[in-house]
Amino acid sequence: MKIALTGNPNSGKTTLFNAITGKIEHVGNWPGVTVEKKEGDVKQALLSGGESITVVDLPGAYSLSPYTSEESITKDFVVNESPDVIVNIVDAGNISRSLFFTTQLLELGVPVVVALNKSDLNEKKGTVIDTLLLSEALKCPVIETVATEGSNNGLASLMEAAVGVKGKKQSAPALRGSRKAETREEVEAVDKKRFALVSDIVDQVERRKINSSKQTTQDKVDRVVAHKWLGLPIFAAIIWVVFSVSQSWLGPVLADLFVGWIDAFYGVVEGAIGDNVNPVLSSLLLDGIIGGVGAVVGFLPLIMVLFFMLALLEDSGYMARVALIMDRFFKKIGLSGKSIIPMIVSTGCAIPGVMATRTIRNERQRRTTAMLAPFMPCGAKLPIIALFAGVFFNDNAWVGTSMYFLAIAMIIVSGLVIRMITGDKSVSYFIMELPEYRFPSLKRAAVSMFSRAKAFIIKAGTIILVCNAVVQLLQTFNWQFQVVAEDMPGTSILAALASPLAWVFIPLGFGLWQFAAAAITGFIAKENVVGTLAVTFSVTNFIDVEELALVGGGNEVMGVFGIGAVAALSYLVFNLFTPPCFAAIGAMNSEMESRKWIWGAIGFQLGTGYVLAFLVYQLGTLFTTGSIGSGFVPGLIAVGAMIVSVVYLIHKNNKTASEAVLKAA
Amino acid sequence: MKLNDAALDKEYYVSAINACEEGMGEFLFTLGCFPGEKITVISQVASSYIVSIKDARYSIDENLAAAILVEDSSLATLAV
Repeated sequence: MKIALTGNPNSGKTTLFNAITGKIEHVGNWPGVTVEKKEGDVKQALLSGGESITVVDLPGAYSLSPYTSEESITKDFVVNESPDVIVNIVDAGNISRSLFFTTQLLELGVPVVVALNKSDLNEKKGTVIDTLLLSEALKCPVIETVATEGSNNGLASLMEAAVGVKGKKQSAPALRGSRKAETREEVEAVDKKRFALVSDIVDQVERRKINSSKQTTQDKVDRVVAHKWLGLPIFAAIIWVVFSVSQSWLGPVLADLFVGWIDAFYGVVEGAIGDNVNPVLSSLLLDGIIGGVGAVVGFLPLIMVLFFMLALLEDSGYMARVALIMDRFFKKIGLSGKSIIPMIVSTGCAIPGVMATRTIRNERQRRTTAMLAPFMPCGAKLPIIALFAGVFFNDNAWVGTSMYFLAIAMIIVSGLVIRMITGDKSVSYFIMELPEYRFPSLKRAAVSMFSRAKAFIIKAGTIILVCNAVVQLLQTFNWQFQVVAEDMPGTSILAALASPLAWVFIPLGFGLWQFAAAAITGFIAKENVVGTLAVTFSVTNFIDVEELALVGGGNEVMGVFGIGAVAALSYLVFNLFTPPCFAAIGAMNSEMESRKWIWGAIGFQLGTGYVLAFLVYQLGTLFTTGSIGSGFVPGLIAVGAMIVSVVYLIHKNNKTASEAVLKAA
Repeated sequence: MKLNDAALDKEYYVSAINACEEGMGEFLFTLGCFPGEKITVISQVASSYIVSIKDARYSIDENLAAAILVEDSSLATLAV
C-alpha cells in the first residue's frame, strides 16, 4: 500500500519519513527544505507483518490551494495519484492553523491518519491536547508522535493506524456547502467556516499554559540576531567560527591523520606492484588514480567538519533568521529574503540549492536566484578553497569566510545587474514562518555529515577517478602516442589542449597550461580542480605543506606552482565564480525553463569569474608590487568588452521599455 | 490602520487585506490571517515585523505589513 505524508511546512514530515524508512533525506529546522516528492519503504521493524508500505514524502503546504510550485506537487499527488492512506503530520504546537489543512484533506475521500508530531515540545510548554476528543471531532485516528526520538516515538502505532484505516470510509466533519463551492466567494465563505470549525475544535481539545502571542525568550533572541546593525556582524562571526574550526583548527588535524593513511596506502600499493610493471601503468595507478583521488579525498575531514557545523546551524532554527536579515539587502536588488534559502542550501551542493528556488513565486526572482545561488562555495569547491588557504595562506580562516561573503556580495551586485538587464521593477512581499529555536542535535548533524561524506566518497571513486585517469593518460602521451620525456611535460596532449586556453588566463595571473586544464575538468566536477592540479604538478599531498616544500626543492610553493599568492587568490576566485559543474547547470536549466535565461546565465557566470579574477590579480599585484600584472592591456580590453555588452543589454532594455511606453501613449 | 502603525504586544483584529500581488490574500488566509482574526506584532526589527498569527511566528516585510489593515480589539468587540 502507499501512504502520502502531508502537512504544513516545518511540521517534521521529512524527519518522520527518515525515521520510518531509515533513509537520510535532508532535513532542516526551517520551512521549505523539501521541494520534491521522495519515496521510501517502511522499515520491517515498524510493520506488524502484512504487506509492505511505500511512503511518499511531500513538500509542505498550508492548504490545498497551492501558493508556490512545490506546494502544487503536494496537491497534485494527493488529489490525482490516489494514495491508499494520507498521514497528515500536524505540529502539535500549532493545531489552530494546521487543522485547516487537515479538514481539507478529510474531504478528499482518502482515509486520513493525523500524526500529532513534536508532542514532546508541548509537554515542556505545558500545553495539553486531548487526542481522544480531537480524534472524535475529526472522525479519524490521531496518534501522538515524536519523530526525532529513536524509541517510544509513536511511529509503530502510527503505522498500525494507517494500515487499520486502509480501504475504510471516513466521514469528514460537516461543512455545509463545501462540495458545491465553485466561485471564489463561495470557496472563501466555506473556508471561513472551516477556520471557525477548527477554532471550535481547538477550544475543546487544547489547554495552553502560555499564550502564544506573549513575548518569550525566543523573541528576545530574535531581536538581537535580526537587529538592524547587529544582525549582519553576528552572521559573519558565526560563519567565521564555522570556517575557523573546519579549516584552521579541527579540520587540518583530522586531515593530517587521514592523509597519513592515504600516503601509507600509496606506499603499500607501490611496494606491491614492484619495479617490474610497465612504468606508464604504474604511474597511471599511483600518480593518476591514487594520487589524484587521494588529493581530493584528503580534504574529506575538513569538509565533514564543515558540514557537521552547518548541519548544527540548520537544526537550530537560525537560518530562517538569516533570511530575515538578508531580506533588506535583497529587496534593493529586486529579490527577497526567500532567495537566501536556496543560497544556504547551495553551501552543501548547488543542485538542491537551485531546486530550492521553487519556493519563490515570482518568475524573474526565481530565475535570478537559480542563476546566482551556484556562486556560493559548495562542498565540491571547498577542497579548492582549503587547498589554496593551506598552501598559500597558512590555513587562515579568513580565506573561506571571505569567499563566503564575497559570494553573497557578488550575488547582490549581480542581482542588481540582472535586474537592470531584465528591467523588471516589480517588488514582491516577503513572508516566512519563523521556526522555534532548539538546541541542535549532535546525532542529526552527524547523520547529515556522514550522508554527505558518503556522497563525496562515491563521487571521488567514480567520476573523479575516471577524470584523473584520463588526465594522467593525456599528460603521459604526446600526439604520436609516445611517452612524453620527463623534462618536456609541455609536449603532452594535455598541455597541447590546455595551452591555447592558458593564453586567455595570462591577464588573470595563472597562464599555465596546468591551471587551464584544471579549470576545464572543474566543469565536470569542481573536486577535479584539486585532482588535476595534483596530477599535473605531481603533488599528491596538499594537506602537509612541509612536504610540498620538499617537492618544490627550496623555494617552497612558488617553486611548485609557478604562481604567487595574488595569482592563487585570483585562481580561487575564478573557480568559485565561473559556471558550476555540468550537473548544476542541468538543474539550472530545468528550473529556469528558458533557453535565453540558461545561456544568459552561463555567459554571465563566465564573465563574472573572469572579471573578478582579473580585478583580484591586477589590483593585488598593484598593491603588493607597485606595478601592474602580466597581460594587463589585453585583459582590460576583454573585461571592457564584457562590461560594454552588459551596458548595451541594459540600454537595449531601457529603449524597448520607453518604446513600449510611447506606444501605449 | 496599517499594521505598521500597530503598537507592539497588543492584540488587533484584521479588518482587511490589501495585497496587490495575486494569490497573497489567499495565502494569508490559509495561515489564518483574514478579516476578523487576531494578529499581534511581537517585534519590529530593521524594516521587518515579527508577528504572531494563530500560534505561529512569521517575519513579514514592511510592504506586506502595509497591506494588512487592522483595528483596535476593543472596537471590534463592540461591533460584535
